[in-house]
Amino acid sequence: MDIIIYGIINSVSLALMAVGFTLVYGVSRLPNFAHGALYILTGYLTWILMNRAGLNYVFSAIIALGLTGLIGAAMYQLVLIRVRGMPISEIIASYAIGLAILEGLRWGGLKGGTFRLPPFVEGSVTVLGVSVDFQRIFVVILGATLMGALWLFVNNTKLGLALKGMAQDERAALTLGIDSDRMAVTATAIGSMLAGAAAIILLPLGSIAVESGYHVLIMAVAVCIVGGLGSWTGAVLAAFIIGFAQILSVVYFGAHYQAVVALLAIVITLICRPSGLFGRQKELEERV
Amino acid sequence: MFEAAGLMVFYENMLALNNVSLQCGANKIVGVFGANSAGKSTLMYTLSGIILDIRKKEEMAGGERMTIRGRIVYEGKDIMSDKPSLRARKGIILCPERRRIFPESTVLENLRIGSYLATTAQAAETLDYVLTTFPALKRILKRFGGFLSGGEQQMLAIGRALMAQPKVLLLDEPLLGLSPAIQYLLAKAIKEIRDQRGMSIIVSEQYARPIIPIIDYGYILENGAAVVEGSKQELLDNPDVKSAYFGN
Repeated sequence: MDIIIYGIINSVSLALMAVGFTLVYGVSRLPNFAHGALYILTGYLTWILMNRAGLNYVFSAIIALGLTGLIGAAMYQLVLIRVRGMPISEIIASYAIGLAILEGLRWGGLKGGTFRLPPFVEGSVTVLGVSVDFQRIFVVILGATLMGALWLFVNNTKLGLALKGMAQDERAALTLGIDSDRMAVTATAIGSMLAGAAAIILLPLGSIAVESGYHVLIMAVAVCIVGGLGSWTGAVLAAFIIGFAQILSVVYFGAHYQAVVALLAIVITLICRPSGLFGRQKELEERV
Repeated sequence: MFEAAGLMVFYENMLALNNVSLQCGANKIVGVFGANSAGKSTLMYTLSGIILDIRKKEEMAGGERMTIRGRIVYEGKDIMSDKPSLRARKGIILCPERRRIFPESTVLENLRIGSYLATTAQAAETLDYVLTTFPALKRILKRFGGFLSGGEQQMLAIGRALMAQPKVLLLDEPLLGLSPAIQYLLAKAIKEIRDQRGMSIIVSEQYARPIIPIIDYGYILENGAAVVEGSKQELLDNPDVKSAYFGN
């Protein structure tokens, strides 16, 4: 029972970390390697607003999310737009921005342990005989809500559908009046905010540390590669596979194998099924 | 009135369009005929503005340098420098070569993505119209775009372009690779769309025979230049055109 409940919690956390990355990649074919940095940045901004500006938790979180969205949009508009369509340059440029943010924060004094966000509600509850603290319950509920909301947004709003069209065929979308640069900015902003939302939900479980920025990026990349780059269903499924594999490895081998599992998943996927579990686009191209 | 004058497009030193001028009056159907590589698609991309996007991408990737010259006047304004999304907003909608259906979206979702520029009421009305004009789509609304036959894809592509509320509809080789029966059906549908919805349509095709009955005016492209132009009857009576493009 432990395994199932903590497996679900871990899987939802992974899905939260990855969903922003998938969205940006899916829409603009842009691997946003600053993803982890934006995650930590949102946590740090929330902390600053709470502890230095004295705002309450909810306000700080909302303002921090908004700022992260703006930073994401600015990042695209000022830097990434110039290297659009050149994958290696996109990775280098976005990773450089991520490094600058993370190492800048480290230089500015962000060290592990001292910076923490409080849990939304203290205490714990017993679920099916397993003791789980409230924050982890929130992770699952908010994670599922966020993913559900995102699904509704993409499938039912004009903007969401435009993003979906853009993701599949940029030139066809252009002929329908969908502006590619504007969509890419929007996607990057939304993706950054999703990274931020993940941070606000997940960070109270640990402390705000530069290292977890890199960790989040690796996890997001692992989930996306296993799930098939740019595929939403694939990402969620992969999050569950890796999430449960991690918990199982913790139980049977030891905690330090967690990171190995994720990286091993990348290697195995690339060997057996290079386009990922749901790399459907390729399959279709082969059929038609 | 949609009017292009002196269009020149170079890919590096290769001349793809050579001083092409073309007019399409309100509610007219204009045909552009020419062999492979005569410049039909380049012309369509230039009219719809997609060529500006292609040039931008080439520039960024350090590929071919493209030079684009000429004027396109629509509703009294030169729109040559307008980017494709702005031209689409003004009602110039391209239904691109090889259809470019969204393969991972269902037929219905393809149409809904197409309605990006439409209001909710327009979208609902046009969806109804598309499904009446192409009843074949009604049965496959839930099927993924990537699994459609060529004819279904073309109907969907035209339907999707209609969803964007065109005033000038550019159809790039809509009959490519389709059976004569479907070609006939689509040509009839194109004329119906013009008659019922009232829009200017410019349609390019390699093989003129199925399209010629529905056009008001036509141009023949050869090596990037418009070598012959004329009304339907003038084209039909021209012996050179007859042997080269009607196959008899």
